[in-house]
Amino acid sequence: MIPTRSIEPWIKEPLERFVAEAGARLTLIMTTAGQVLAQHGFTRAVDVMAAAALGAAIHSSTREIARAVGENEFKALNHQGIRHGIYLAEMHTPRGRLLALVVYGTESSVGLVQLFYEDLVRELREACPREERRKPVIASNFERELDESLASLFRR
Amino acid sequence: MSLVNFTTREITCKIVYYGPGRSGKTTNLQYIYGRVPENRRGRMVSLATQTDRTLFFDFLPLELGSISGFATRFQLYTVPGQVYYNATRKLVLQGADGVVFVADSQARQLDENVESLQNLQANLLDQVVDIRGLPMVLQYNKQDLPSDLILTPQELDDAINFRGVPSFPADALRGGGVFETLKGISEQLLRKLSEESPT
Repeated sequence: MIPTRSIEPWIKEPLERFVAEAGARLTLIMTTAGQVLAQHGFTRAVDVMAAAALGAAIHSSTREIARAVGENEFKALNHQGIRHGIYLAEMHTPRGRLLALVVYGTESSVGLVQLFYEDLVRELREACPREERRKPVIASNFERELDESLASLFRR
Repeated sequence: MSLVNFTTREITCKIVYYGPGRSGKTTNLQYIYGRVPENRRGRMVSLATQTDRTLFFDFLPLELGSISGFATRFQLYTVPGQVYYNATRKLVLQGADGVVFVADSQARQLDENVESLQNLQANLLDQVVDIRGLPMVLQYNKQDLPSDLILTPQELDDAINFRGVPSFPADALRGGGVFETLKGISEQLLRKLSEESPT
């Protein structure tokens, strides 16, 4: 079974379908700041957090270059290696701009990824709930737990 | 914006270390990376020039542990300090939940500190973020240098701490103040999450 991890539940089904249809090895859906909202596929060879941070950085800098040459945005970016390729693209949803980072192997192709990416974007737009109201998350007396966590982190 | 997963009870926050060139932002992350157990941190990614100056950013994910029942993760970033790299600095700042401003305590670097703070404010405004609402702490690094070369924490507070945010003297190379700074920004971030009111 291919592992899925989804912080936003509405992403899970469209993402799983996309990975299966496009033959991708791994796909991350993330914010433009590089925080992963959902991932599906094999992550053994990939440090997901580092890949997300780098993907967001590539996307941000590409967007700025697009502006510099008078484009609103470049829709997608593809890099093809010998064993793996990556496809990085932005989508607009009711939750704002999100990014998809798709890692695919020789069993797929950029054409196949592009073909099903349009479906993924449409399905995510349909499934996406409106922005939720922000509520307090952390109890007000968090200091002791924070002290303990940091002390153990720094082995004090 | 902090990412909160109510199902798996996880929080992820982005903290950006900002400041003038060679003030010690990368050194802070390197010290943390070297000090934290392997199972509590991810890989440190550094996009640097051949001379080890930060070109785009450094990135270090940390597992803080459980706070209020939430597995809490911090993603630490640095920006390139050199004036030339403002475009990339802006990009790294996107979506920051909190900022650690690393100031260089050397008296001759005071103008660079002020300029970098102004640059931070301008870059945040560009992203429609009011610096007054953003969790922030100041770190006065290089306090280990001879006293005739540096300003004291009190003098630096008077000169650049306009908002009266928590400030920490540091010697990031040997780790002095690094922990206290991270603790300071963590408290501010979590305080904000504990007070967040419906928008």
